[in-house]
Amino acid sequence: MDQKTLTGYERKELKKGPSRRLRREGKIPAIIYGHKTPKTIAVDQKEFRQKFKNSSASTILTLMVGKKKYEVLVKGLQEDLLRDSITHIDFFELERGKVLRTKVPVHVEGAAKGVREGGLLEQRIHELEIECLPKDIPEFIAVNIDDLVIGEAIHVGDLDISPKVKVLNIPEQTVISITNIKEEVLEEPAEEEELLEEEETEEAPGEE
Amino acid sequence: MLSPKRTKYRKKQRGKRDGVARRGNKISFGDFGLIALEPKWITNRQIEAARVAMTRKIKRGGKVWIRIFPDMPFTKKPAETRQGKGKGNPEGWVAVVKTGAVMFEMAGVSNELAKEAMALASSKLPIKTKFVVRRDLE
Repeated sequence: MDQKTLTGYERKELKKGPSRRLRREGKIPAIIYGHKTPKTIAVDQKEFRQKFKNSSASTILTLMVGKKKYEVLVKGLQEDLLRDSITHIDFFELERGKVLRTKVPVHVEGAAKGVREGGLLEQRIHELEIECLPKDIPEFIAVNIDDLVIGEAIHVGDLDISPKVKVLNIPEQTVISITNIKEEVLEEPAEEEELLEEEETEEAPGEE
Repeated sequence: MLSPKRTKYRKKQRGKRDGVARRGNKISFGDFGLIALEPKWITNRQIEAARVAMTRKIKRGGKVWIRIFPDMPFTKKPAETRQGKGKGNPEGWVAVVKTGAVMFEMAGVSNELAKEAMALASSKLPIKTKFVVRRDLE
């Protein structure tokens, strides 16, 4: 797995006001935690977006804060859809040789038979929760759907995952399914008016 | 048309729509979403019109999720009535939508088609909206 380097700046002033000032300056307030004492930092919004564009929660990042080097995973990401910005990041510091929990994206590969026949491909899970050593973290879990026909599904238990990785999702959970497309049902009589009329007749006797 | 099956009380107080949506503000099911940029009451007719516009555009393909539900009754006083004499009669149902709420979600279609379909849906709504994409698809 390739490693990406990111620069972090130490953050002394905490809470709402200073955090908002940082965001206005194009930085994202963040925190590093894990096995040592938590450390509050800030990262550059532009740099983070550029580096994190094609990565996921399972990508190991090298974070440089001053002269110190941290190997981290992005554990949590708070974003503001309205402003299209990231408001806060949680970095989880790795410790070599210690088992950790993280999320890995599920990538769909191939073109399903069922889709060609007119079915609808539904991806129910976009990320799998796994437990493994930092060196064994897969970048993504690929699912081949070439032979999938309408009415069939791939469950967590069916996935081909390295034995070094323990999946925490329930094996019966559906990852991908191909269903029949429902026809668009045209206008039904307005039921909501019925309810409103019904309620009017049930009016309490004392009410004016 | 969407409406509650039964309600505990016939009429509700109007409430406020200040601030931004703290819940229902993320894309949870699909790949694309339509978020509200203004707070407003959205009627069940508007939701239905938006849904129909959207599903007709994507034809047989894709899946649509409606993330808002009109569970708030609104009342109206009859025309040419003097003020007073109590609250008016329930006239319909609305969903209380706050700024930033994800109103619709879509999956199983291309980005371009989803954008076009959402634009059609947006034209049926009384508010400004924004088309958003799930982060890992960007």
